Amino acid sequence: MSAVITPPESAATPPAGPLHQRIVWHLSRSPKRELWLAWATMLVFYNMFFPIFFIVAQVQPPPQPTWDHAMQVHWFNERHLGIPLGLGIIFAIGGMNSINNALIAYSMRRMSITRVFGYSYLIIYALSAIPGLYLLCIALIVGTLRPERNPEAIEWLYDFAFLSFDGTMGVFLIGSLIWMVAILIDKNRVFPKWFGYLNLCNALTELVVAPCWIFRRGVLAWNGQIAWWLDMVVFGVYQVTFIVMLFQMIRREDFGTGPLPDLPRKKKVAA
Amino acid sequence: MRRIDGELILLWTLPATIVIWLAAFVLFPGFMPPMSPTMSANEVAAFYRDNAAAVRSSMIVFNWFGVCLVPILILIVMQIRRMAHRTPIFSYAMLGCVASGPALFLIANVCWLLAAFRPERNPELTQLLNDFAWITFTILVPYLIGQSVILALAIYFDDQPNPIFKRWVALFNLLVAAALVPAAFVGVSLTGPLAWDGVLSFWVKNIAIAVWIVVMGIVLGQAVYRERAERGSRGEELVDA
Repeated sequence: MSAVITPPESAATPPAGPLHQRIVWHLSRSPKRELWLAWATMLVFYNMFFPIFFIVAQVQPPPQPTWDHAMQVHWFNERHLGIPLGLGIIFAIGGMNSINNALIAYSMRRMSITRVFGYSYLIIYALSAIPGLYLLCIALIVGTLRPERNPEAIEWLYDFAFLSFDGTMGVFLIGSLIWMVAILIDKNRVFPKWFGYLNLCNALTELVVAPCWIFRRGVLAWNGQIAWWLDMVVFGVYQVTFIVMLFQMIRREDFGTGPLPDLPRKKKVAA
Repeated sequence: MRRIDGELILLWTLPATIVIWLAAFVLFPGFMPPMSPTMSANEVAAFYRDNAAAVRSSMIVFNWFGVCLVPILILIVMQIRRMAHRTPIFSYAMLGCVASGPALFLIANVCWLLAAFRPERNPELTQLLNDFAWITFTILVPYLIGQSVILALAIYFDDQPNPIFKRWVALFNLLVAAALVPAAFVGVSLTGPLAWDGVLSFWVKNIAIAVWIVVMGIVLGQAVYRERAERGSRGEELVDA
């Protein structure tokens, strides 16, 4: 379906020189510049994403679901600037996530499988950002907007935010399974099969967070060892792994339709 | 095979969309001028009590026609596909942005309609719905910024003698993206330029969106008509795979 035009492959060799010059060349002139740019965007996005939530806005790790109204109001008051500023940055850079999803969809396009996988992933993850990210950020921002607001309304926003964050499950569950099946049935060797199973691990964490809708305390609550900590550790490992996997995929990319070639053994620097 | 029959119909829905959106925008009593975030709960409740009919009618129109920009954005996706790129990354990324803006807008839309549904409700709850609506409406920029930047990059990488969009369109999109950024920080203050009725969060953001729609409508129309002319001169009905 795509009208991809192949530009002439002149000047396809990276120039010798300092690292920053080579990086600029890869992002602006390399035949793989579109892929490298998407990958670099992904790297920047995730390097900003976590520090913003944990350090600037300080909304993660999540607070206790069992806190009373006074504690909830105090929690919002302590973050009356961090939340709108930090989450404001998330809204400003959120569009980068679409480029991340596009790169992952591209990895499925490069496989020996139907395009349905890539498109499905793209749409599911575009949708996932609304309940899984933006709505909870809006609830937190509205929560900090008026410290004098009725504490019951503040509690509603508090529950909305953290249950929306933990409890948005299906889009990530099915999205990860789509990538997993794609990797496992692919004959173009785009990713190693074990990475397919790592997708399964990530998908399974979406099952174990479901009890956060029921329990207010213990390991299954929205801040519990299983529903939050286990989920976060698995996602952290998964995320670092897929960034490395996509890096390797771009290095090996030959823009063909058959199996992805292995990297030449002596080549040490990213292509 | 990419077929182009019907593209003109979709393209010419844009002027109708603009007229309908403008009419609904003017009809909503909270936009001209924008409601102040410093209104008390009782004032907000009184606003919905006094203006229930206008809030309902304008927001029902927005609910009907809020997604009308999607076909236009998909037409832009199709033009990105014609660009001299090696991968479909940019059209994929643009496709991922298309639906999220309307989805967030519809959440704001529902909150406004809910606030007007029972004007006798506890004013604090009406104020909560009003806050949720205004913050969501103002902060729905991530994918609008995203699509402008993605389009700018796609144009920049379109290395061919007759690029689909001229280079100034890329710069224009970056400028619009920059104009939308302050609205992301609407939660910082209830007064001043960043507040939801402020210069940056309301006027600059909404004027930037309006200018983007008009300018992109024109350059998209030129690209669509040029493609048809090129195909006509080559005697082609269908191209591409």
